[in-house]
Amino acid sequence: MKATALNKLYNIHSIWLTMMVLTLTTYAMGKLEYSGMAVMLFLLSSATVKAGMVIRDFMGLRGVSLLWRVIMYGWLLVVCVSIAIAYIISI
Amino acid sequence: MLNKTGYMNTTITEPIAEEPELEEPRLLPGDFAIWFFIFAELLVFGIAFISYAVVRIQNVDMFNQYQLTLNRELGAANTLLLITASYFVVRAIHAIRLDNVKGCIRWLYASLGCGAGFLLLKSVEYNDKFSEGINLGTNTFYMFYLSLTMFHFLHVILGMIILFAVAIKAQRGGYSAQDHIGIETGASYWHMVDLVWIILFPLVYIIR
Repeated sequence: MKATALNKLYNIHSIWLTMMVLTLTTYAMGKLEYSGMAVMLFLLSSATVKAGMVIRDFMGLRGVSLLWRVIMYGWLLVVCVSIAIAYIISI
Repeated sequence: MLNKTGYMNTTITEPIAEEPELEEPRLLPGDFAIWFFIFAELLVFGIAFISYAVVRIQNVDMFNQYQLTLNRELGAANTLLLITASYFVVRAIHAIRLDNVKGCIRWLYASLGCGAGFLLLKSVEYNDKFSEGINLGTNTFYMFYLSLTMFHFLHVILGMIILFAVAIKAQRGGYSAQDHIGIETGASYWHMVDLVWIILFPLVYIIR
């Protein structure tokens, strides 16, 4: 399959860079003491995306058996959704 | 594109999304047993994170108040260090797949350097807190903050010991492009340490 421009941009370097930018964004939002449901959901989503990148591209779980992908992504999803629900209750 | 371990034989600059769809699932990287260990660790951390969020429901004001006393700069710097350490480990694996043993060793030590930086910054943070008389019994927020981060701190140390052992074996010629399962095993554990911190940092230091 011929690589698209987007595919060419998606490599281990750009993944690392994306994670760095998301981390700095998270820090900036904390520094500015932003709060509220939208902010909480954004920050949790950002962490979920970064964690997903670690599982998929750093750990190398892309293409492994469905069972292990369900276990790893399932852990991530259950933890992040549970945290989000707990925070929504407290808002 | 796949070697005997079922892993990608790609160069570092090759776009990941270019790889063809596989007919059969790839094997898990590294020793299969490490994945049970990783999952057990993730379960423990997951329960601890959810416990933090649930206990916070009854103590929102306290958690928000004391969260502001944490050093977000050091927390963010440590996140950048761990992500970069994981990236270096990925580079090490790519290097050994190309039979570049020296490059692999260099990337492993670069990763260890980032790990050491993490431990140093965390120690500075703990020193600040302990010198203020803060301990596990100060309040519920600090109990979670100290126990979660210290438990993770111990995992960073264990991860560094594993990576160091892998680097020493690599220096002695113990790994090659055909046989590097030990590096993948150590790398998988190290990525787990990174994965946990990626959730821990916004949860404890930022989200309010």
